[in-house]
Order: sequence, then structure tokens, then C-alpha cells
Amino acid sequence: MLRFLVSLIIGLVVGLGIGLYLGWVRFPVEFVNSPASSLSQRYKDDFIVMVASGYLKDGDLGGAVERLRLLGVANIPAFVQEVTERYISNSQNADDISVLVALSESLGRLTPIMQPYRRITETGG
Amino acid sequence: MGDYETETGVPRRSKYRRPRREISWVGLLIGVALGIGAGLFYAWAVDTRVEYDTEPWQLKPSDRAQYIAAVALGFSYDSDLSRAIQRLVELRPQVDPIQEVADVACDLATTGYASTSSGLRAIRSMMQFYRLQGRSGCADSLIPFEDQATPQVVIDLPTPTPLPPASKTPTPESAVRPSPTPPRVIAPTVQPQSDYIIAAINTFCATGSSGVIEVFVQDFNGQGVPGQAVRVRWDEGSDTFFTGLKPERGPGYADFQMEAGKGYSVEMPGRSDPTSQPLVAAPCVTEGGDSAISSYRVFFRPA
Repeated sequence: MLRFLVSLIIGLVVGLGIGLYLGWVRFPVEFVNSPASSLSQRYKDDFIVMVASGYLKDGDLGGAVERLRLLGVANIPAFVQEVTERYISNSQNADDISVLVALSESLGRLTPIMQPYRRITETGG
Repeated sequence: MGDYETETGVPRRSKYRRPRREISWVGLLIGVALGIGAGLFYAWAVDTRVEYDTEPWQLKPSDRAQYIAAVALGFSYDSDLSRAIQRLVELRPQVDPIQEVADVACDLATTGYASTSSGLRAIRSMMQFYRLQGRSGCADSLIPFEDQATPQVVIDLPTPTPLPPASKTPTPESAVRPSPTPPRVIAPTVQPQSDYIIAAINTFCATGSSGVIEVFVQDFNGQGVPGQAVRVRWDEGSDTFFTGLKPERGPGYADFQMEAGKGYSVEMPGRSDPTSQPLVAAPCVTEGGDSAISSYRVFFRPA
């Protein structure tokens, strides 16, 4: 009987490990109905590029900020700045960088590294 | 001779005389089965793994709608249909992805989302997107496509000053006849050599793009200009290449691979002056501590 109990306990421990591995790693729960704040960084970045493009199209800064609230970020200007600088450092698409710089500048976050990507606006005269 | 001995006196092998195993296989198997069940229950129900790397298809419906609106806004700016479709496909739509945009626009048009100007613009962007692809939705009948709220800029032109009435006194004819003006000879001027300037040169160090001159030719708005010739010169020779051949890096992008230790100058032939200082392909160390060759980003903009 003791032999059986010892084997049972060893089996339980081994089985528990296998079960946790399967449940957490191999076949983890796939969430649906997730908030946008839990999006992976890649998709958050893409979302910001889309919103920044929309801002350049319609010039609605308030609307852009309101859309970015969806990501659940506390400090939106700082977040846009961080994403923009990361895009520049990683040599991402120049057009994407350009729209991000425009949004970041409108949010008062123009840093020296962004200067070359600024859009030059012709002034009348 | 006992029951369990052979004629030679060697004890016969019996299940009662076999040495006992240390492990009960039955117990072990039952334990493993119970353990796996308990482990899965714990991992799936009690302490599910913290969610990370969520993809757009996992978004809840309200956030998914906002994401689709953002896709349409992006398209309204860059008109890049393939990129917009790719973004929509990542939402794993159950129906035609463009029709889903129409359906979502319809839903948004019936909610408070349409009561704000930014919401209206987003819905109109969606309408523009799916209409261009030949789809339709109920938003077409709910929201006028033209942005009637856009204020019209009225420019007051200066009122023309009326000419003074003609005097009745005839102006005496001058006795001095004006000498004929010699014809003006306009010498053809040479086309300006520098309609582009080098707006900026940045240095960076990365193993992924080691020893590369990245050239960006942009217009006044910072948009890339494709098809522009760029020439790189070094001691032994030169090379001319064109922007826009790597569209994934933007239409105004071109690059050149340097050789370590050499110096290069960059120009737009006939349209800009060359770089005043040579761009030297010098060894550098990346932030990660890897060795690489210094790279440069050169920005050309209209003068």
C-alpha cells in the first residue's frame, strides 16, 4: 500500500508539471474580447501610425488623442514620442516616421532626433 | 524437496519470490493522469497565464470597431490599399474584410460615435474606403458622405479702386519723342545647380545596416520623391542609383553599401552640391556592444 501511495504521489507531481506546461505554454487559453490596451507592442505601434496618418489627413488633434486613449496609456504625448524615437532608431519606414513626427510635434514632443523627419510647411507670402 | 524447488535444488522462480519493484506502475499512471488533469484545470481555470501579445482579432467588438476606423483613417492618408487590407486581414474577419468595414461603419453611424466631429470623420473615411471597393452599407443612408460641416474659407478680395474720370483737358503731346527702347536681350541663364540641399546628415551604428548610406529625397512636405538620381563618389570611382527601388522603405529612399575605411561624398547629380565632408565608413560599436561600421542617413530637401 505504501508503494502504491508513493507511486501515486510521484505520478501526481509529474502529471501536474505536464499539465501546467500544456496549459500555460503549449495550449494556453486564447483570450477573446480583449481590450486594445492588451495589444502587443507591434499592433500598438501600427495603431499609432494609423491614427497619426488620420491626424495628418484631417488635422483633428483632439480626435487623434481621443483615439489613442483606446490604448489605455496614461501619458499619450510621451508614448507617441517613445514610439516615434523607436521607429527612428530602428530605421522603420520613413513615411511612417514622418507622420509620427508630425503627431509628436503637434503634441509638443519634438526632439532633436526627429528634426530631419519634420514636414516643412510652406508659408504664404 | 519443497514445492518451489527443482530437482537440482535451485529454487523455482515464482511470482511470490520475485523481488518487489520499487514503483507501482498502476499508481504512477493514476497519479500522472490525475496530475495532468489538475495541472490543466489550474492553468486554464484558476491561474490563467497573463495575457500578452494580443492580436487585433482578439479585440472586443467595441475596440475592434475603433481599430477598423483607424485602418480606414490610415488609408485615407496614404491610399495604400494592400496595407489596409493586410491590416484588416489581421482582424480575421468572418466575412469579406471590406464588407466588414461597411458593417462596422453602419454600426458606428447608429451610435453616439457619430455625434462627434472626429467620429464623423472616421466614419466618412470608412465610407470612402468601402465605396472605392464597390461595397455599400447602411451608413451611406445615415450620414451624408460630403463633409458639410467643413467651414468654407471666404477670402475677401480687395475692392477694385475705380479709375478717376477722364479729364476734359487734353494732355499736350510731348515734343520729345521717346527714343525707341533698345531690344532687351535676355541671356539664357544656367539652370540652378542646387534645387536640392542636404537638410541633414545623421550617423548611426547598427549591425543590421552596417556601413550603409541611407538617402532620403523628400519634397516640401517631407514626402518621399521616387525616381531621383543619387550619386556616391569615392577615391576610385562613383555610383549612381535611384530612389524608390525599395518601396518598403518609402518612395524617396535609396541606399548604398560602403566599404570599411573609405570616405564617400553624396549628391544629387546636377541638383545638389555634394556633401561638404566625406562620410567615412569607420568602425563603431552598437548599443548592444557589437562591432559594426558607421552608417549615415542623408536627407535631401528642396532648396
